[in-house]
Amino acid sequence: MIIGGIDLVEVVLEHVTKNFGQVTAADDISLKINDGELFFLLGPSGCGKTTTLRLIAGFYKPDQGKIFINKKIVNDIPPYKRNIGMVFQNYALWPHMTVYDNIIYGLKIQNVNPDSRVKKAKEVLKIVQMEPYALRYPNQLSGGQQQRIALARALVIEPEVLLLDEPLSNLDAKLRYETREEIKKIQKALGITSIYVTHDQSEALSMADKIAVMNQGRIEQIGTPLEIYNKPINRFVAGFIGETNFIEGKIEKIDQQNNLLTVKTKSDDKIFANDIKKPFTIDQDVVCSIRPEHIKVTKFENHLNEYNRFKGIIKNLNYYGSMEHYILDNIGTVDVKATNFNPEDLSNKIGDQIYFYFKPDDVDVFDLK
Amino acid sequence: MSKLSDLIKSYKTSDWKTISLFFLIMSFFTVFLLIPILYIFKGSFLVNGEFTLFYFSLMYSDPFYSQSIINSLIIAISSTILTTIIALPMAYFMVRYDFRGKSLVQGLLLIPLVMPPFVGAIGMKKMFARYGAVNLLLMQYNLIQQPIDWFAGGFFGIIILEALHLYPYLYLNLAASLANIDPTLEEQAENLGASGLQLFRTITLPLLIPGYLAGATIVFVWAFTDLGTPLIFEFTKVVPVIIFNMTKDIQINPMGYALTVSTLLLSIFFVIFARRYGSKKSYEMLGRGHIIPRVRKITGWKVPLVYLLIIFTVAAAMLPQISVILFSFAEEWFLTILPASYTLEYYKIAITSPLTTTGIINSLKYSTFSTLIDIVLGVTIGYLLARRQFPGKDILDSVSMLPLAIPGIVIAFGYVSTFTGTVLDPFFDPTLLLILSYSVRRLPYSVRASYSGFQQTSVSLEEASLSVGASPFKTLLYITAPLIMANVIAGGIMSFSAAMMEVSDSMILALKEQFYPISKAIYSADLRLGDGAYVASALGMVGTMIVTTCLLIANKLLGKSIGELFRA
Repeated sequence: MIIGGIDLVEVVLEHVTKNFGQVTAADDISLKINDGELFFLLGPSGCGKTTTLRLIAGFYKPDQGKIFINKKIVNDIPPYKRNIGMVFQNYALWPHMTVYDNIIYGLKIQNVNPDSRVKKAKEVLKIVQMEPYALRYPNQLSGGQQQRIALARALVIEPEVLLLDEPLSNLDAKLRYETREEIKKIQKALGITSIYVTHDQSEALSMADKIAVMNQGRIEQIGTPLEIYNKPINRFVAGFIGETNFIEGKIEKIDQQNNLLTVKTKSDDKIFANDIKKPFTIDQDVVCSIRPEHIKVTKFENHLNEYNRFKGIIKNLNYYGSMEHYILDNIGTVDVKATNFNPEDLSNKIGDQIYFYFKPDDVDVFDLK
Repeated sequence: MSKLSDLIKSYKTSDWKTISLFFLIMSFFTVFLLIPILYIFKGSFLVNGEFTLFYFSLMYSDPFYSQSIINSLIIAISSTILTTIIALPMAYFMVRYDFRGKSLVQGLLLIPLVMPPFVGAIGMKKMFARYGAVNLLLMQYNLIQQPIDWFAGGFFGIIILEALHLYPYLYLNLAASLANIDPTLEEQAENLGASGLQLFRTITLPLLIPGYLAGATIVFVWAFTDLGTPLIFEFTKVVPVIIFNMTKDIQINPMGYALTVSTLLLSIFFVIFARRYGSKKSYEMLGRGHIIPRVRKITGWKVPLVYLLIIFTVAAAMLPQISVILFSFAEEWFLTILPASYTLEYYKIAITSPLTTTGIINSLKYSTFSTLIDIVLGVTIGYLLARRQFPGKDILDSVSMLPLAIPGIVIAFGYVSTFTGTVLDPFFDPTLLLILSYSVRRLPYSVRASYSGFQQTSVSLEEASLSVGASPFKTLLYITAPLIMANVIAGGIMSFSAAMMEVSDSMILALKEQFYPISKAIYSADLRLGDGAYVASALGMVGTMIVTTCLLIANKLLGKSIGELFRA
């Protein structure tokens, strides 16, 4: 395969800041993307992820900080000299050129000789499985096909880095699912260092080697999908990734011996957590995060384990086939969401009195602020 | 102070190329648009170094001036009313009904655009003359005993010619607004029990107001300021003709300045009023996606009624064109309904005699250069507005749209007063000023055309090119230019065709026969006794043909959206 990096390509951002007027779109961003990694920038809209991507692409210049690609500072290098491939959200296929002309455009610009142009175009069309469509115009292609051509056009110039700006957001749900797999496969096969912007957490969790969760121009947490989901470092990450229940309270007791933290809620209920490594103090205001799938619902009291047991009423119950979703009344004043996968006993009804519990291990405790 | 320092700071951070382009363009506007306007104001308020309102008060007190102003206002108001009567039902039928021959009618309705009213006036004057075709026809069938003075000494003639030329502007604006009304709005009203005229009055009409005002403003201002038509009818008691006559003693009599300022203020007032009031009455359509207008088939008793109305309108609209065509081919047309015999002689004269050939060549030359200026400036301004961020962007936007609100006669008068005695003195050689006045007046169309070209071309198409290694220049060459080309050329053709038959600037600025453009050549041919009017008609047809060809090409390039260029 011709396409793909030979050098080890790293992308490093050091304290990069970008302002637009009064708005700080990227605020002191530092991150390191390793060679061959599929790195995700994930966050709600307006969090600065696209700004960060465009800084790397060179469409914006950072106000402060340094951007390194392949160990060289690229701050002052214009986008067309960075050797970066980019897939745009709207694909940005040139409507006045055929698929083939779109693809070889970059090669022409680089004065690649006509023979190898043809060869490379064929090769990349094969990779994205679009060989029969070379002579069509973009408006004769479906959304998914356009997406593939945009990817092919970015790959054919053998870029050092591949940037993808919400590449799947214009596709319908089913196609999005399939294309995820495909992009990941191609990325891994070519071993190209890639940065992928999305607001879709399931896209990030299922595809990424590493994720940077961003909010209000800042990076909240960088980690593997596993770390991000299971060990969120603050309330924002816990809330943004997946669903969770937040219950506020105060630290009542820190039991180092049994590795147990006791949080007293406003209604004097107690929540126990193993999250003892963080530097909490007694009476500190905190918030507990418990994922719905970690909350078990049962009819029988004797099922309950020692900690975190509650009695409640089913306020609402939705059945989704592979799971049941409950709203339970309550811990203190807070309604609790619980998800039961593979429900076997379907006799629960709205209004039933039930018991629910969760393990101290599944409780994350964060400082309230 | 903080605002000033912000401004200075933002200048420092903008890139110098953008800023220098901005200043370059602004200096062009300053010299050829803003200073001439200031000169007019100065000339009207400052006489012999002293501030005075005397010449404005003269407009009241002097019966000649006050009568002329009243005449012009009546012409403008009546023309607007008449165009409304023609355009409103036509727009409604064309957008809402489906009928045989609709696309033909659509084309026919726009024909008046290609012939300026003063050319049509030459033919119509003949046709409605005391012993012209119409009177003879009516007398032959004993419908009248005595010939009727149809145009009341030219006054009605002006109104009718203006209305018949201008209704397409209103029609296009109304049709666009009508097509843009979300059908669910009317369906909801019907659902609640409204129908017919009540539905039209309570829902449809209010939603049409912004489009109506935009179109009506064009009509009103044009009819008020048109110089050519009253000149052909030899009706001198109107504002534009007085201003025209006063350019000859521009150094002595400040009255011309005062009248020009009043005309300008009136025009600006209407444009601003239409904008403000229009935008207050314009409602964002909340419907999603593409709006498909409610199109119905005409049925029952409405069929003959609608057809009759359409046929009558189209026939009336084409009357000036037909009369000019007949006139230009008529060997002899005296005391007969139709010409007694036909000839190509006048066309031969029109394309061979010195006066007319100079006119044609001059107009081609002036229009070509003014179009080139429009294209260069239009693309540059369109690019700056669509693609660049820089301080002063709003100013550039308003200034480049300003000529829409400034009548040609005002610019021409301003040029004469500003540049008399300079190297650009029009009495010496008006070539450059004619070119510039043409291009300044049509610049908004050109800016708008290329601006919308840039708008339709997503920035990411350019970024995609940069990202695969093409420099900004290559990106412009291979990506942007091909994508906006159709718009730019179409905008250019529009500028060209408008310049070809431009009247006010040409009449005022071209003072020697060797510099006459086609419109002034037509006028001076018409003044000649003998075959003058025949030659003028033939020359008018030559000009009309050139304009028609241009518009057909633009239509081909832009497809359906050509109407947009005529809208406000």
